[in-house]
Amino acid sequence: MSFKLIIGYGNPLRSDDGVGWHVAEELTERLPNSEFEVVQSHQLMPELAEKISRSELVIFVDATRGERPGEWTCKEVHKQAPVRAFSHAASPEGLLALAQGVYGAAPPAFLFVMCGGTFEHGDRLSPTVAERLPSFVAAIRSLAFAGRSQNQELAAR
Amino acid sequence: MDKARRKIIIDPVTRIEGHSKITIQLNEDGLVEDATFHVTQFRGFEKMCEGRPFTEMPSLMARICGICPVAHLIASAKACDALLAVRIPPTAEKLRRLINLSQIVQSHALSFFYLSSPDLVLGMDANPAKTNLFGVLAENQQLAADGINLRKFGQQIIERLGGKRIHPAWVVPGGVSEPLSESDRDAILSSLPGAFAIIKRTLDWFKGIIGKYGEEIAMFGNFPSLFLGLTNRNGGLDFYDGGIRVVDSSRNVIANGLDPNKYFEYIGEKVDPASYLKSTYYVPIGYPSGIYRVGPLARLNLADRCGTEWADRELINFRGLERTAVLSSFHFHYARLIEILYAVERMEQLLTDREILSKHVRSFARPNSEEGIGVAEAPRGILIHHYKIDDNGLMRWANLVIATGHNSMAMNRSVLQVAKHFVHGAKIPAGMLNRVEAVIRAYDPCLSCSTHAVGQMPLHVQLLSSTGEVVDEVSRPD
Repeated sequence: MSFKLIIGYGNPLRSDDGVGWHVAEELTERLPNSEFEVVQSHQLMPELAEKISRSELVIFVDATRGERPGEWTCKEVHKQAPVRAFSHAASPEGLLALAQGVYGAAPPAFLFVMCGGTFEHGDRLSPTVAERLPSFVAAIRSLAFAGRSQNQELAAR
Repeated sequence: MDKARRKIIIDPVTRIEGHSKITIQLNEDGLVEDATFHVTQFRGFEKMCEGRPFTEMPSLMARICGICPVAHLIASAKACDALLAVRIPPTAEKLRRLINLSQIVQSHALSFFYLSSPDLVLGMDANPAKTNLFGVLAENQQLAADGINLRKFGQQIIERLGGKRIHPAWVVPGGVSEPLSESDRDAILSSLPGAFAIIKRTLDWFKGIIGKYGEEIAMFGNFPSLFLGLTNRNGGLDFYDGGIRVVDSSRNVIANGLDPNKYFEYIGEKVDPASYLKSTYYVPIGYPSGIYRVGPLARLNLADRCGTEWADRELINFRGLERTAVLSSFHFHYARLIEILYAVERMEQLLTDREILSKHVRSFARPNSEEGIGVAEAPRGILIHHYKIDDNGLMRWANLVIATGHNSMAMNRSVLQVAKHFVHGAKIPAGMLNRVEAVIRAYDPCLSCSTHAVGQMPLHVQLLSSTGEVVDEVSRPD
């Protein structure tokens, strides 16, 4: 059965690095189970490639360092084998390439990244990131429900 | 030629779990004099846990590692069982065995397919930028797919039993927190044939290619040593319980049925100022002659049998590699594959046991002992958790003897052997770096929780004169 896949990843014990997990928790409650599968992961593991190959859309949600905590970006990602050494953790592009190479299919994919304010030990988001979380989740939700052409438009903004 | 003593430093070592570096010391004639494998990260879990309730230990200790949390969970829970002084229900023991075997499969699959198979598929002289799963995929799609699917198989069982793949909290002091449901039992059983087919196919492939690696087999940690690990009452392979057996390089049993609770009487720990990893040795022989190896190679050298049909057949082939013990650390790979085969077969035995669905899976008690020791076989070798608590059940002291520490001296010696074979003079020869790393990888050292790794891990090797001047330098591409 066709489904859309949302993967929130990072370290939930490193404050804002866990924003992908927080997004995943929010979306698990708000998205219909019949159409969506939501995954939380510390890293992007090669084992996710099979699930990705069976999905019709993948949305990756990650955190990054930057000067403006709470700001976020979205871009479409395409399959690409890594040019760096790669072992057991992958990039979104690498996972898509694995999905295509091993399982024969790689769906359209988008990467949402929010800039974190702190990556120290802790299981809570920083106030700035927590404040921006609802709008971040709403944007991901919009893209999850939109068609592909609309997605590309949204990502281009 | 400059007669100054020189060092080659490999920092960091890539495609292993954690952060480390290697130093190769050259003498005045440019010949390799010594080699050291340093662990450059510090975790400090033993101090962190002081003052915490002992009941938190299994969950806390599982955080040591993102690859083998289950091993820490089990050793920790066994130490807590000893603090409670309880005998856990038989079904709880079987379920703990089941999740431990699942971890053996997923961890061994990661080591063999993700980290080491690129060396075996693409060759030891391949471009490091291509020695990854994608390189394997380009050359052998079946092998790459099998690796991913086998690891997923192990991870899914851990998730099914423990509720999540990483840091499951299902194993608790006194047993496990929930019984196995019939539907989960059936689901796991239905996945076993696929895993069995993968590991059989991989073993056939591996046995077909090892003939190309005669030079590596000869020099990858190929030296006499002791081997140490758990065996069950019948002398068979056991990952969960039993006595400690020590065999020499001729497979003569020099100690059998040693009580794991008295590990400190025969396992010594030496602190190396150059590394955060303690080196262990067999006390009756002393340091450094009491060097021993643990993990898959050791387990298959010291056990009388695996105890399952197909693994025992492979064990005969494995034993045929050498007339005595199998000494080359290159054969950690072969042993790892046989252990996966054993694990899949043993899971079927456990899942078809008539008690496996019993609801009685936990014993309850208050602390009855101030000291507890838990021992289990982790993927990389024997793992020991030793705790002391106060009258309120708070942790006073902990000592963890980690599998990778047991192999510390053997890894140093293996690096030295490879370096002596390849390094002659002031230049770093092509192929040396890959092989020094590959021999470390054969041991599958687990130096940290991989989820704490930050940033890229390029390889940087410097050849330094005794005055610190860089006389040769090699870097991995960014």
